[in-house]
Amino acid sequence: MKLEIKDYCVRCGMCEDLYPEVFHLNVPEDRIDIKYDEIPPELEEKALGAIADCAVGAIFKK
Amino acid sequence: MQNLKVDIVVMGSGGAGLTAAVTALDYGASVACFEKRPFQAGSVSNCAIGVTAVKNDPRYQAAAFNSIFNYTNYNGDPGVIKAWINNTWRILPFMDKVGAKYKLRAELPLEKVGKGEAGGFPPQTRIGDAYYMIGRGKGHGSAIVALQSRRYFEAHGGQFFVDTPIVDIFTEGGKVCGVLAKHNKTGEEYKVECKAVIVASGGFGNDREMIKKYIGHNYTDNNCSNGGDVLFNFFPTETMTGDGHKLCWKLGGAKGGMGINGHNLVPGPGIIGNTPWIAYDETRVMEEQPYFWVNKNGERFVDESQSSNHMAMGTSIARQPGKMGYIIYDDDTREYLETHGPDFEYFIFQAEHLHDIKGQFERLAKLGNEHAFMTDTLEELADKAGIDKEGLLKNVARYNYYCDQGRDGDFSKDPKFMRPVRKGPFYALRVFNAGYSTVGGIKVNGRMEVINDDGKPIPGLYSAGDCMVGELWGNPPVGGIGNYSHALGFGFTAADSACEYIGIKEEEL
Ligand SMILES: Cc1cc2nc3c(=O)[nH]c(=O)nc-3n(C[C@H](O)[C@H](O)[C@H](O)COP(=O)(O)OP(=O)(O)OC[C@H]3O[C@@H](n4cnc5c(N)ncnc54)[C@H](O)[C@@H]3O)c2cc1C
Ligand code: SF4
Repeated sequence: MKLEIKDYCVRCGMCEDLYPEVFHLNVPEDRIDIKYDEIPPELEEKALGAIADCAVGAIFKK
Repeated sequence: MQNLKVDIVVMGSGGAGLTAAVTALDYGASVACFEKRPFQAGSVSNCAIGVTAVKNDPRYQAAAFNSIFNYTNYNGDPGVIKAWINNTWRILPFMDKVGAKYKLRAELPLEKVGKGEAGGFPPQTRIGDAYYMIGRGKGHGSAIVALQSRRYFEAHGGQFFVDTPIVDIFTEGGKVCGVLAKHNKTGEEYKVECKAVIVASGGFGNDREMIKKYIGHNYTDNNCSNGGDVLFNFFPTETMTGDGHKLCWKLGGAKGGMGINGHNLVPGPGIIGNTPWIAYDETRVMEEQPYFWVNKNGERFVDESQSSNHMAMGTSIARQPGKMGYIIYDDDTREYLETHGPDFEYFIFQAEHLHDIKGQFERLAKLGNEHAFMTDTLEELADKAGIDKEGLLKNVARYNYYCDQGRDGDFSKDPKFMRPVRKGPFYALRVFNAGYSTVGGIKVNGRMEVINDDGKPIPGLYSAGDCMVGELWGNPPVGGIGNYSHALGFGFTAADSACEYIGIKEEEL
């Protein structure tokens, strides 16, 4: 599974708070980093959680 | 270089900017909105869970006006106060229009205007019905309002530029005639001819010089690592460098009252995450509690039951030596908190549980947090935390005496919050005044026209939101707040006035 984040993400960093294994709020670059190009199977559930939880629906499966 | 021509340019896409942009567009203006960050929303990306709206009824509006004007000791600008209050009812139809959802949290009866619980702020500021914006997933609703506003704006012909700060505003014959914006990454320049500019660029929480010069505090980062005295950088605020202030002042705009949108906060790693509304750490909740607070001389300085009135706590902490305070508990209170639950819980910083306070203090120490202390004796606590020992022991004894008497002889605190400090281990958190952002700086009148020192408007120049909200509260702004309701109320007003100025809306008397 691959993830992408749409440009309208508001950089609230909630995905990092909830799923730090998958996301990182990169403050200097003002963007969210996804830690894996291909989400490892054991983290897929967390990735799906983030898709559901995101503040503006900016996280998508690629 | 790209050349554009529009009626109105909006600087910033926070609550104020987007509301002004959408409103002006709907009056029929051509509008371009420039945003410095790579996305919309401004400060609300990090919060704004709720919004206040005063009913569109002269009785409610008058009561709200009287409460706020009186609260500012008649130092706030009456026109600005009215502009906010009398436009808040428009928030709900605005949300309907852009497709954002909200829910009534608490309706305020007329006789309660200016009284009662104000969710972290003084009772006099509780002047309208409280609404929640309904969020998506686990997020907050204002992020959705911003996204929907942007979508509405773009879908209706508004031109929206991200990553493209406005770097200059031009005038001709004293009237605003254009702006220059420059893309952060590509360096591409946009020269825009326009008739009016609405400056909605937020605060200057990331400009240390401005903070020192205009508010008199030393900026510090989240860890208090540079020994400053006001925390600013606990949420990303890089773009908040007072760009709009500087441009308005350059064009002759007067300086308005400036202050901090403040509250109490323990600094350092492990206290809060990126998103304040996600339960992150129990210590954040412990700093809400109304028990025993002292300054570094060991003296109490406030009725601690104000601890959920964040602004009051922030301001009173800032008055103490070293601009810091300490919250102290004993082990009985720890046990009480873990079994009974917290007495106060701020609706934004909720804890799911308080079940291991000792463990939390140990964890903070491991993370390198230098502001949380746990010791067996009060003497050790004073040494470790840097509190005057004699003062602390004396005042603990005095406070314990009051607790036993059931009467607070110093601050008349409600006896139910009088919990003695007797049984070790003892716990202390060092607490500072923290700024969400800054308040005010651009002087406007009740039409949101930027005015000069003589009170005369600079034709075509308007401002809305955190950058001018100091005018609500006087100079210096009495316990100033800049919030989402202000941003929206002023956003409507700025759009109304700009559209009247360019002749597409009739002026209202
Ligand atoms: C952490 C936090 C929690 C808060 N919680 C609440 C709450 O619960 N309830 C509440 O009502 N309020 C809350 N507030 C306050 C509220 O969010 C703000 O008062 C309000 O959103 C300010 O709106 P604004 O449009 O004036 O400014 P902002 O939202 O700050 O928008 C200003 C915009 O201008 C942009 N900008 C800056 N310079 C330029 C430039 N040169 N060119 C173009 N664009 C520029 C910025 O990038 C930013 O996007 C909170 C604020 C913070 C920071
Ligand atoms: S939760 Fe969504 S909006 Fe917030 S930072 Fe993560 S991806 Fe962006």
